[in-house]
Amino acid sequence: MILPAMRLRGALNALRRTPLRALVGVAMLSGVFIGVLAATRRGVRFLEDYPGIGSISGAVEQRSLEALFTVLMVAVAFSVLTGAIATLYDSSDLPFLLSLPVSAARVFGLKVVETYVNSALLPALFTLPVLVGLGIERDAPPGYYLIAVAALLALYALPVAAGALAALVLMRVAPAGRAKEVATGASVALAAALVLGMRALRPERLSNLTPEQFDQALARFAAWHVGWLPSAWGSSAVWRALRGEVSPAALLLAVVSVALLAGVARVAALAYRAGWFRALDAAGKPGVVGALPAARWEAPLARLGPAGGMIVKDLRLLARDPSQWSQLLVLAALAGVYFISTASLAAQMQTFRDLVGALNLMFLGFLMAGVGIRTAFPLVSLEGEGFWLLRTAPLRARQVVLAKFWGALPVMVLLGGGLGVAVAGRLGVSPVLAVASPIAGVCAGIAATGLGVGLGAAFPRFDATSPAEVPLSTGGLLYMALGLAYAALATLLFAYPSYRTLRAPGSFHWSSVEGLAVLGAVGVLTLLWTVLPLLFGSARLARYESGVG
Amino acid sequence: MIDVRLLVKSYGRVRAVDGVSFGVQEGEVVALLGPNGAGKSTTIKAVTGLLRPSGGTVSVGGHGLEREPLAAKAMLGYVPDRPYLYQKLTGRELLRFLARLRGVAEGEAKADAWLEHFDLQRSANELIETYSHGMRQKLTFAAALLHDPPALVIDEPMVGLDPRAAHDVRRLMRQRADDGGAVLLTTHSMEVAEAVSDRVLLLHHGRIVASGSMTELRQKVGVDDATLEAIFLQLTEEAARGAAA
Repeated sequence: MILPAMRLRGALNALRRTPLRALVGVAMLSGVFIGVLAATRRGVRFLEDYPGIGSISGAVEQRSLEALFTVLMVAVAFSVLTGAIATLYDSSDLPFLLSLPVSAARVFGLKVVETYVNSALLPALFTLPVLVGLGIERDAPPGYYLIAVAALLALYALPVAAGALAALVLMRVAPAGRAKEVATGASVALAAALVLGMRALRPERLSNLTPEQFDQALARFAAWHVGWLPSAWGSSAVWRALRGEVSPAALLLAVVSVALLAGVARVAALAYRAGWFRALDAAGKPGVVGALPAARWEAPLARLGPAGGMIVKDLRLLARDPSQWSQLLVLAALAGVYFISTASLAAQMQTFRDLVGALNLMFLGFLMAGVGIRTAFPLVSLEGEGFWLLRTAPLRARQVVLAKFWGALPVMVLLGGGLGVAVAGRLGVSPVLAVASPIAGVCAGIAATGLGVGLGAAFPRFDATSPAEVPLSTGGLLYMALGLAYAALATLLFAYPSYRTLRAPGSFHWSSVEGLAVLGAVGVLTLLWTVLPLLFGSARLARYESGVG
Repeated sequence: MIDVRLLVKSYGRVRAVDGVSFGVQEGEVVALLGPNGAGKSTTIKAVTGLLRPSGGTVSVGGHGLEREPLAAKAMLGYVPDRPYLYQKLTGRELLRFLARLRGVAEGEAKADAWLEHFDLQRSANELIETYSHGMRQKLTFAAALLHDPPALVIDEPMVGLDPRAAHDVRRLMRQRADDGGAVLLTTHSMEVAEAVSDRVLLLHHGRIVASGSMTELRQKVGVDDATLEAIFLQLTEEAARGAAA
């Protein structure tokens, strides 16, 4: 018990050091708990009261719980792959722990628990209010809550064990020093594919069903039971507990989970001692010896001077750092979801198509603001602790900021403009909106890049361990507020041509005085949102002192 | 070459550096010594532009760091105590990047020469994340020397270096000065300071409590054959007693 007590003490000390953060965290968790609890209770009541649902309401609820378990288990499986490598096999305290007079199996047992907590705690906390809500609505006996929580914990142990074993295999077969990159890439690609796949199913089609068709779909869903799936064991255990019974599935789940976790700890201990983790060691086969010339693609950028040199360096780091390119995969999925969602709204009536097209002008601004916080905002902070190299070089802060801006701009403009063209084309909007859509996308891309790079430079976080961590700051909040303000103002400017097009098609032309005025105003707005943050960021970065504040 | 006048650096009410003045001439190696927390690293960071002075001035080659930062920084090479470099670049790519950043003519050839000098050519095409601490330190030296700066500022030069590399670095610092360069270094190694430096500055609680050549310092403590370590211990104890009184 010494090792877990040590970990607990460390966690408590960390909480004590940042009490405000702990309070905010507890408040947020409480909010989520109360919200999910209320939603679950309302959902259960809705199903119970659904006309004509009769005896299948329980089966529908059980299948819904199984679906929730399955989705969250998949989420745990995705996150545990990288988490297991970092926590179970590559943590910095492992050599220290193994030097203690404690058996290796115990040390790895602790590491398995840590992996479980890191990967499955949040999904478990999210599922808890669902189970509590179900128990309250179905007047469950007190023992239900105990069994339900045990089933929940046991259920998420399965993907943790499977992910930890998969990570072990990966570290043997992945190219030397690339286990973490491969794991991150696989996790993000699978998650992006899952999100895109689920969106491609277009669940909104359910709203098009007639009441009879919906009843039939509900009955088919209630009868859909795959008994061999662990999620079915979990839901079966919960359902029997609602009636005050202990299901054999609950016992099976508990035994399998504990055995798997213990087995993983044992296997990890053996593998560690046997030096199994070939792909974890950074040193691989000896590389090419001798003077390797610069790649051909570097030449045109290198001619741009220091800015080109920085862009080349950033591109190389982007290609090799999974925490950076995984962000791009997430963005690709986000853009894909946006395109599929908007395209699915295509209708016969031109007026309706134009209405959606007008809304698209607004959403493009919001979307690009969301993209910018993941791509443009972290760029300066990604220099990390190597920032001293730029700081001691004969460079102005403005040059650094502009190099980041020019590096990110093509991607953002292509994404914004590309989505603008694609969505307008897929919707078949009127010519006025077909012109407005790519303009809105490109302008939003430029503004989000300027705003992101500028505010990212003004509020750098060189100590962040990943790009996703960088926006969690005052600067990130300011970016989101200003990014949304840009989207709102651009929407207002595009509202006039949209209104004219909807009201009297063909009455508005971009080449008219009013059309040029709208374009000019959008241009000025974009320029302001781009240049001012870049100037502000340059000035703040010039005053930045390493190791201070 | 390096001129520091009445340098002050405060963090809130705490004065980490309190009115420090010194210069490093061409052809000179100056060692900045002092106990932990004396203000050595803060001084070095102010000289390299990583920190902005709260008061006083720093100039390099006659260019004020505040007014002409680019000209001043162009004349400086800096080796920090902790060699944080871009982990996902190779050693060669890092030097190529820095050559582009500083506009070094024939950057590739110079990078190759320094990689060879520090015996890094075999690992030059490997990612820096695979380097040992000593290899990173050597690469940082190569990065600092790539543009042939007339002034070199080094914070703890020997950390992590193997005996061979430590010997080379010691010789390199002396050679740079003998060739007309100016070298400012901080170190906890009295042996290194005694071996390579022409002058020693002893910092205590942000102030210079003693400065001079080894001969001058020996005269100050009144022991003809005192080692730098003995001088350091005596002077810092005296300074501590003076501060307490």
